[in-house]
Amino acid sequence: MSGEGATLKTAIGDALPVFVPAIPFALVLGVAIMRSGIDPLLAWSSSLIIYGGASQLTLITLLGEGAAGAAAITAALIVNARHLMYSAAMAPTFQQQPAWFRWIGSYFLIDQVFALGMLRINDDPRNFRIYYLAVGVTFWLLWVITTAFALWLGPLVPLDWGIGFAVPILFLGLLVMGIDRWPKAAAALAAALVTLVAADLPHRSGLLVGALAGVVTGVLLERLKA
Amino acid sequence: MTTFLAILVTGLGTYLSRSIFILSLANRRIPPMVRAALEYVAPAVLGALVVTMLVTPEGKIALGYAEVLALATAGAVALRTRNHILTLVAGMAVFWIVRTIT
Repeated sequence: MSGEGATLKTAIGDALPVFVPAIPFALVLGVAIMRSGIDPLLAWSSSLIIYGGASQLTLITLLGEGAAGAAAITAALIVNARHLMYSAAMAPTFQQQPAWFRWIGSYFLIDQVFALGMLRINDDPRNFRIYYLAVGVTFWLLWVITTAFALWLGPLVPLDWGIGFAVPILFLGLLVMGIDRWPKAAAALAAALVTLVAADLPHRSGLLVGALAGVVTGVLLERLKA
Repeated sequence: MTTFLAILVTGLGTYLSRSIFILSLANRRIPPMVRAALEYVAPAVLGALVVTMLVTPEGKIALGYAEVLALATAGAVALRTRNHILTLVAGMAVFWIVRTIT
């Protein structure tokens, strides 16, 4: 029993600092919602239904600008396409889990939950499940609440205080903590460089090209090593 | 109503993108080669994500002394301590200090 409590505590302790960079993001979303002219409560429901900051921002902004629904949906889904890779990467770990967890756990699979979860895939299945759910639910609750507050606060808060930079800082931290052998470092570096070169591609799809290049680099290097 | 429909479709598509492989590979043997490749998804996507966050919507990289020093500090702290709070605090402290004095 104390093991579960400890896992729960660790999970929430990990989720809180990782959530901090999502706060300015929520405020930006709040501003975008108020500017879009879409009913605020309706727009906020995207936090529950989509649950993905970047794609929510894309969808709301484009709809507010009067884009066709299909175009806005397509753009938002391209922004979210990296989740396909998360789903594949998590599949082996989720094989050891009950079916209900696969259905519910999938809903929580956002960037931060993926990155934190990947650091725990060697835990025993029960521990992994508790950790993943605790991180997921904590993150989800905070996001739903913060984006609701952001509807009022977003337009009032100055966004030039630079706290947005906390986002790359934390993702770099998550990246570094997950590197346990040098081909992984090389994969990250290759992904970063290719993403930079492909930065002009629309809807942040350069990210997908870069990530793919990183995976290929890692696999090739591991084969070379073996 | 059309707005709600757009949110709903995007939500369904997003859930599908997160669940598709988890559900479809649940009871299937995943070939060792694929399994090995999947281990590189996390470092690759995170490397790509960090760069995406440092690039302006026009495709220009937005890096000054403050950003570079802050990222270097955060990377070093993460490597040594494996602690998310310390990484965040150290990185943001360096970012704000350097930004103020330059």
